[in-house]
Amino acid sequence: MISALNGALDDISKAMRLHRVWIALAHEDIGDQHRRTTLGPLWLLVNYLAFIGTFIFVFKTSDTDSAGYTAYASIGLVVWFYLMEMISLSVPLFSREGSFIQGTRLPLFVYVMRLTVQCIIRAAYSVAGCIVILLFSGLGISTEWLLSIPGMLLIVLATPAMVTVFAFLGAFFPDAQFIVGNIMRVGTFLTPVFWVYHGQSGIQNYAYHWNPFTYFLEVVRAPIASGEFPMHAFVLTAYISLAFWVIALLLLGRYRKRVVFLI
Amino acid sequence: MISVKLDNVSLAYRLYEKLTLSAPDRRLGALGGTIGRSGGMQVVQALEDVSFELKAGDRLGLVGPNGAGKTTLLKVLYGIYQPSSGTVSIEGKVDALFNINIGFRPEATGRRNIVLRGLISGWTEAEIEQKMPEIITFSELGDFIDVPFKTYSQGMAARLAFSAATALDPEILLMDEWIGAGDAAFQEKAKRRMDELAEKAGIIVLASHNENLLESVCTKRMTLKNGRVESFITRPTKKVGARAKS
Ligand SMILES: Nc1ncnc2c1ncn2[C@@H]1O[C@H](COP(=O)(O)OP(=O)(O)OP(=O)(O)O)[C@@H](O)[C@H]1O
Ligand SMILES: [Mg+2]
Repeated sequence: MISALNGALDDISKAMRLHRVWIALAHEDIGDQHRRTTLGPLWLLVNYLAFIGTFIFVFKTSDTDSAGYTAYASIGLVVWFYLMEMISLSVPLFSREGSFIQGTRLPLFVYVMRLTVQCIIRAAYSVAGCIVILLFSGLGISTEWLLSIPGMLLIVLATPAMVTVFAFLGAFFPDAQFIVGNIMRVGTFLTPVFWVYHGQSGIQNYAYHWNPFTYFLEVVRAPIASGEFPMHAFVLTAYISLAFWVIALLLLGRYRKRVVFLI
Repeated sequence: MISVKLDNVSLAYRLYEKLTLSAPDRRLGALGGTIGRSGGMQVVQALEDVSFELKAGDRLGLVGPNGAGKTTLLKVLYGIYQPSSGTVSIEGKVDALFNINIGFRPEATGRRNIVLRGLISGWTEAEIEQKMPEIITFSELGDFIDVPFKTYSQGMAARLAFSAATALDPEILLMDEWIGAGDAAFQEKAKRRMDELAEKAGIIVLASHNENLLESVCTKRMTLKNGRVESFITRPTKKVGARAKS
């Protein structure tokens, strides 16, 4: 246990010294995905705006026709896109990086940070889109918005741990890629991204309270959409993140040398 | 002090996928590896009880049939694989050249790949800038340096990789059947650079099936078979020494 932790911290500190590598590689990744396209990474913004536009204008009901709902759905979608992309890219991470893992001695955490940076850069585009929507939604800017910053930081801090856990999952159980892919697709509907929970019973009750993603969404969304700091969600998100870090460190410490044989 | 020392190093690959082994005896005859079983899992014993020692200035040629464990041994030396048992102690800065596409990004230009490779090896941006002209000149790639790596021929890729890997003055250089892809002129150039490296008291380990290359580069020769050391010969160094001085 102690030696596993030492190994993990060693891997992480080596990776931190190589920060130039993962920052450079993450930029390459974004560039690669949009090479030879005219809009380049702006497609990420278009993608987000198209999705949220559909929801706000096409599925318009009296219930959802308000500035509050626009904020609710557009922020929820930013966080959800971020989580969904991060998790689905994490599962096949090590096999995608196979050529580097088998040919260089980079610590595994370098690949984790590379994906983390990549996800944050991609999210920045949808955040930009989201801010534009909020400004036009007629919600009115307020200082309460700043209360969602701690929540965002918490999610960013949890990201490397979640990437690590899902990457190991994918390395040891190749089937996980398909299982996780399905769960995330279903999750779009089971997580309160677009629907609002007003104390309904039944499935929605469970999907709200027993779904860890709910809290990740709420910590960022509640301060802007309803103007209050979601203490309960914040504490739960912090616990979930901590749990991910503990598992991530153990996996990294115990199995990092095995990964090269699995991919 | 630059040195390499291996003590009873063994490495077994576990095969997680099922292989078809309908006629194992016939299929494995000429190759250097064997597939065994251990507790329901298939195991390839790629290295078994390998021990040897190299000192500054040594140039070891690794030979053996396909599947003998040469690449595996190089990866153990480089630190990519942790041996299943035994100890590896290495003093010195190691760089390695494995197969061409490993560690290169196909979409990025040759120049960008040098930068990435430099960062991976722990250089600073300034050091990379400083080495860049020399790397480009040595590789003789000219204007192709600004073309995506994926458009390179095998030999061009080999030139780039060799130039980049040797530019940072590695103390220990591991090479896997590499410069074979370069043309005669480049091979000659590469040999000279390896001579220089060895003169600076570096260590070279080269796995190859090319007898001429081994003959001209190496001072020692280790034959692997089935993951075991079959022979370890130290050759008189006169020939290599003479070449290095001329
Ligand atoms: N990733 C792997 N997973 C399972 N078995 C492997 C793996 N890599 C190599 N092996 C096995 O280990 C043995 C040694 O392989 P290795 O690549 O070291 O041979 P080699 O001497 O480099 O051969 P060659 O001359 O063909 O390059 C072979 O039997 C091979 O099948
Ligand atoms: Mg080989």
